[in-house]
Amino acid sequence: MTRIFFFVYGLIVLAVVSFAEYRGWSLNRVNEVINVPRSVRDNPGSYRSVYSSYHHYTGGK
Amino acid sequence: MSTPGPTPPGPPQVRSLNCPGCGASLTVRSFGNAVTIICESCHSVLDAQDPKLKILQQFHAATSEDPPLIPLGSRGTIRGALYEVIGFQRRTIQVEGISYSWHEYVLFNPTKGFRYLTEYDGHWNDISVLRALPDVSAGETALTYLGETYRRFQTADAATAFVLGEFPWQVRVGEVVSFSDYISPPRVISSEGTGKEISWSIGEYLAGRDVWKAFKLPGEPPTPIGIFENQPSPLSASVKSVWSLAGLFFVLLLSLAVGVYWLESDEQIFEQTFEFNTSAGGEASFVTEMFQLKGRTSDVEVTTSAAVDNDWLYVNYALINQDTGHAYDFGREISYYHGSDSDGSWSEGGTTNTVTVPSIPPGNYYLRVEPESDPNRGLIRYVVTVKRDVPQASFFGLAILALFIPAGLITWRSMTFEHLRWAESDYGSPADGSLVSTVGTIVDSFTSGEDE
Repeated sequence: MTRIFFFVYGLIVLAVVSFAEYRGWSLNRVNEVINVPRSVRDNPGSYRSVYSSYHHYTGGK
Repeated sequence: MSTPGPTPPGPPQVRSLNCPGCGASLTVRSFGNAVTIICESCHSVLDAQDPKLKILQQFHAATSEDPPLIPLGSRGTIRGALYEVIGFQRRTIQVEGISYSWHEYVLFNPTKGFRYLTEYDGHWNDISVLRALPDVSAGETALTYLGETYRRFQTADAATAFVLGEFPWQVRVGEVVSFSDYISPPRVISSEGTGKEISWSIGEYLAGRDVWKAFKLPGEPPTPIGIFENQPSPLSASVKSVWSLAGLFFVLLLSLAVGVYWLESDEQIFEQTFEFNTSAGGEASFVTEMFQLKGRTSDVEVTTSAAVDNDWLYVNYALINQDTGHAYDFGREISYYHGSDSDGSWSEGGTTNTVTVPSIPPGNYYLRVEPESDPNRGLIRYVVTVKRDVPQASFFGLAILALFIPAGLITWRSMTFEHLRWAESDYGSPADGSLVSTVGTIVDSFTSGEDE
């Protein structure tokens, strides 16, 4: 029973990896925004990124 | 366990006698094979070989104090032969002042002879007499029988505490014999004797439900408590096959990785060098030229390389589909610091950062880029590279973990089972405690399991 379960489980793991690679999944997460106006191309400053002013200054050791 | 030789063939015979002690009726089921008979009424141990049933011993006990789980006279099929329960005894050992008792049932078949069932805390064993002597190692720590190695588990003196029915040997309440158990789950080989005469028997673990089924007993068998000395591990047999499957899937995963790295295009779509003057002021954001993502939905990898040195650059990105207005918003920091102190030289960060945007459909895209940095930094030069259909090694790493962690857990549970088994042994684990020897013990156990 354990063998059958592990065999099916292994097939599922392989299938998920194959599908993830095929569909281009990523572990990185991004914020999706819909209906961005075409005017952004002419006026980039009008776009408001959720990551704006998100300073990551570390200053080193 | 003291036993006679093979029983002469013949049909089942039942003879009725009377106890010379109390006059109660006695039922003799094994007829000429019985050596002693115990009267259930007055608990006289009678010499069945004597025509007058000489009383050999009398003991005080109430039959109800320890009723057999399988009533005397019950018939059941064991290994294809019909056996009748003709005798029952309780035996007790003392370990560190604590008494442990188990029950033994004497089974009789006119053509097959005697065999025995033992029960301890819901654990059952089917016992028969060894027909050949095992090869006992020097020091008696192990023995070999029919090519199989059995490890010594315990040695103790067992006293007969209660008897009922018929026995093919001269049984006495209070009789003490020394025994040793050697195990190779699900089997156990036991030596038993007083020093002058040693008899050997072999047992195989039985599930209580199989005993109940064989004797068609009502109700449910007692639930086993703890792990018995020769109880087969439910996982040991699976450990090897699970690791074999894990190895097989690992090879398949490597093959898949080779295929993915071979087939995925890893196509560079866009690359451009930009300059960001932090002291210029004004609006820093801008958009790139349009680029086309072709083919199927795939990941898009955006790499930023910046000439930072003890400095940082943060870039807000929006990958925008010109056709649909769908944007993927993300930010990345490129910072690189280094120096030296009393601990020596150090560095942290790097001059390159890569982000993989998942599942981007084909279409016409551009990047909105908004760099930020220390206002006093001045001019920073950085390169933005966009690729599509890039293989993701992280999924293969996760898949390897997903395959081997369950295999490891099954191995660990199997090891725990063996640890609990040997915790009950007088001699401790046959392993010396190291991981290698413990694993070796488990390998031995499931190797022997495969031989069955």
